[in-house]
Amino acid sequence: MQDSEAATKPRGIFDRSTKGHQMPTVSVEVERGQIRFFAKALGETDPIHFNIDAARAAGYPDVVATPSFFMPIEAMADEERARLGQPSLIKLLRCDFGRLLHGDETYTYHGLVFAGDVVQFDTKITDFYEKKGGLMEFVTIESTVSHAERGVLITATRTLLHRLG
Amino acid sequence: MAIANLNDVQVGDALPPMTFGPITRTMLALYAGASGDHNPAHIDSDFAKKAGLPDVFAHGMLSFGGLTRIVTQWAGIGRLRSFGARFVSMTQVHDLISFSGTVVERFEAEGETRLRVSLVAAAQDGRQTLLGEAVVAAS
Repeated sequence: MQDSEAATKPRGIFDRSTKGHQMPTVSVEVERGQIRFFAKALGETDPIHFNIDAARAAGYPDVVATPSFFMPIEAMADEERARLGQPSLIKLLRCDFGRLLHGDETYTYHGLVFAGDVVQFDTKITDFYEKKGGLMEFVTIESTVSHAERGVLITATRTLLHRLG
Repeated sequence: MAIANLNDVQVGDALPPMTFGPITRTMLALYAGASGDHNPAHIDSDFAKKAGLPDVFAHGMLSFGGLTRIVTQWAGIGRLRSFGARFVSMTQVHDLISFSGTVVERFEAEGETRLRVSLVAAAQDGRQTLLGEAVVAAS
């Protein structure tokens, strides 16, 4: 029975037993150089993302992270988890890079991220579902970036998917 | 940076558009390094071919990050309340992406006037790659 089921219907690649899993909270330091490098990679030209004087003249304490700087924060959080012997989100979900696509990404902003901030990163795997008769499988992930004094700065919701066809 | 006075903005107004690219392998390599997203499908053509893809393809988040710029250049990052996008088709190497945005709603929330902006990223052949939405504070 199991053999014929496996042969007729591959049940996806994501490890769906991780639904509801909360990744261990980690803290990461946001470095000025990384804000600049990331901004430059996006073709950003606004000096508040590069120049401390320009940022201060605009009323900010230090260079300002661009809106999708959530991505490097997450990557830093993954590196921090690796140092603690914890698997990355990608590994935990068993993502197959040959089939993986990004479905959507949404950020809600409650505050800005500045160079020098130490931020706490939390991530939870909230749901799995399929579309197109099981030819695509999706995972939904929710994360927050928060600061000890300024509270939650970013909430993020996104879906990743595998093409199973 | 010149920030628009959003108090006078009407539903239907367009944001100043922007082109992004053409996407090069160098852009993908730099984005991989800067973002920490080292998925080889975006930077290693040997891997891409082994996985049955014609070539590497762009990180959706590279265009996403570019698309945020048409909103922040217009409204200022301090006014940005939310930003999101769906990745509706793959962005390929050599694609020239156009970003456009339109104000679709003016509303009150959390004690301030806000504007909802509908956003599109499209390649040179008209193929839409990202469909997004941003909310900004009007004042």
